[in-house]
Amino acid sequence: MIGYLLEFSQALLALLLAPLLAGFVRWVKSRLQNRRGAPVWQPYFELAKLFGKDVVMSNNASWLFRVAPYIVFASTLAVTFLIPLIAAPLPFDNIGDLLVVVYLLLLGTFFLALAGLDPGTAFGGMGASREMTVAAIAEPTIALSIFSLALGAGSTNLGQIVIATLTNPGVALSPGHLLAFAAIFIVSLAETGRLPVDNPSTHLELTMIHEAMILEYSGRYLALIEWASWLKLTIFFSLLANLFVPWGLALTLTPAALAIAVATLILKLAILGMVVAMIETRIAKLRLFRVPELLGMSFVLALLAVTSSFLLK
Amino acid sequence: MNEPLFSQLSTLGSSVILLFGITLLWRKSLHAYTDAFQWQSAALTVMFVIIGYFGNDPELYVVAVFLFVLKVLILPRYLERMEKRFGDQRESQPYVNIVTSLMLSGLLVLLAYVVARPLVLVSDLPTRGGLPLAMGLIFVGLFVVITRKKALTQIVGFLVMENGIALLAALGTFGIPLIVELGVFLDVLMGFLVMQVFVYHIHSTFESIDVDQMNELKH
Repeated sequence: MIGYLLEFSQALLALLLAPLLAGFVRWVKSRLQNRRGAPVWQPYFELAKLFGKDVVMSNNASWLFRVAPYIVFASTLAVTFLIPLIAAPLPFDNIGDLLVVVYLLLLGTFFLALAGLDPGTAFGGMGASREMTVAAIAEPTIALSIFSLALGAGSTNLGQIVIATLTNPGVALSPGHLLAFAAIFIVSLAETGRLPVDNPSTHLELTMIHEAMILEYSGRYLALIEWASWLKLTIFFSLLANLFVPWGLALTLTPAALAIAVATLILKLAILGMVVAMIETRIAKLRLFRVPELLGMSFVLALLAVTSSFLLK
Repeated sequence: MNEPLFSQLSTLGSSVILLFGITLLWRKSLHAYTDAFQWQSAALTVMFVIIGYFGNDPELYVVAVFLFVLKVLILPRYLERMEKRFGDQRESQPYVNIVTSLMLSGLLVLLAYVVARPLVLVSDLPTRGGLPLAMGLIFVGLFVVITRKKALTQIVGFLVMENGIALLAALGTFGIPLIVELGVFLDVLMGFLVMQVFVYHIHSTFESIDVDQMNELKH
């Protein structure tokens, strides 16, 4: 019973933290660029505003266009039940392992791309085809790099991987872990539509990916999609934080351990958010044709990670 | 001597050195090539110091100093001078495109693992984890030499391959005799200078350092 309570509170936590994280990254970024920046809780206002607005829809849009936001949101939310956010092992560990996590995320991407194609606008189609190009290289990279952790832990179960790292801390500095970390970091920038792959703060570029797909959405649909994409950012950051640096996770379900776990999670997310903001300030967007090269690099990193954790066991 | 720590550090260091080698394949400008080589050589220097410390071989410190002076200070400076002289040289159209080269480099490292496997299995050196990575670096360096068109990037490929050989020697033997090491350094310097002369000649003959154009000599 307490396990289920934990699961739901963890999903709720992720859901509530996600806009804050997105706002925080934006805020740090604007401070770094000598701007005052919107307050960190701005995304909550945006959500409130969007949920209050009417939906305007193209006459050509089909049922797919209407259900896609719900599927995207639900599949992303489902992932938060499966990844170790504040405690390990989770009672839902038996329901889904890392493969389920990877493909639930891909399911959301797939439906978003379909929804981009559905109203038949030029931008939507362009965005969808680009998103699929990125996803086609990004997904195997995530799977491979988490596999390299799984090989070390002897299980594809995320909770087991975390516990294996906790019981044998030296593993955290092995080349397999570091390479996999670098690979997932690059991929999470690509998957969550950050620089250098996509620019999250503009709708006005011909090279946009994520924004091009959701250009036709408005009102509560847009709110759901935005929320899901912030949630995705939170998921990737917490995977990075908790799979590679699992210290702080609660192993027992005492209030003190859980409080520490929540505090460390927020700390880790803040650190990663600052790193991403710094990267986004320092580098320019890659040309679209250079993006597969960057992702190819991360794929090679993941491949090397698997090789080294497989052959050096 | 802390053997697990040594083994972990050597594998980690070798991975970092290999990564700088693979970075070459991703980058295009000669400047980035030089940078990657410089960082790789710095990492190699650290690696030599680590091996010298854990392997109790003070001679390696001397080698590390020489390596630092030659490969972190002198050679990159020469490369930068040549780059200034020839203008911005971009490896815009290598024989094998970037994504394919990256994939192939991954396969080359796998191949290195396969080739070095018998060696790793019989060896009980604490550094054995790094051996396949060093061999992979040699392959990657060779691959850069084969697939890149500009003479200067080919030189960097050669130097990276040489770094791989030095790393393999250091990991496998904990330091070959100092005199041999110095001979190798002199060799690298000489080889580099000779290649530099060649590049100047190619440039003055063809107005470009694209070795592809040398095919014209056949006609």
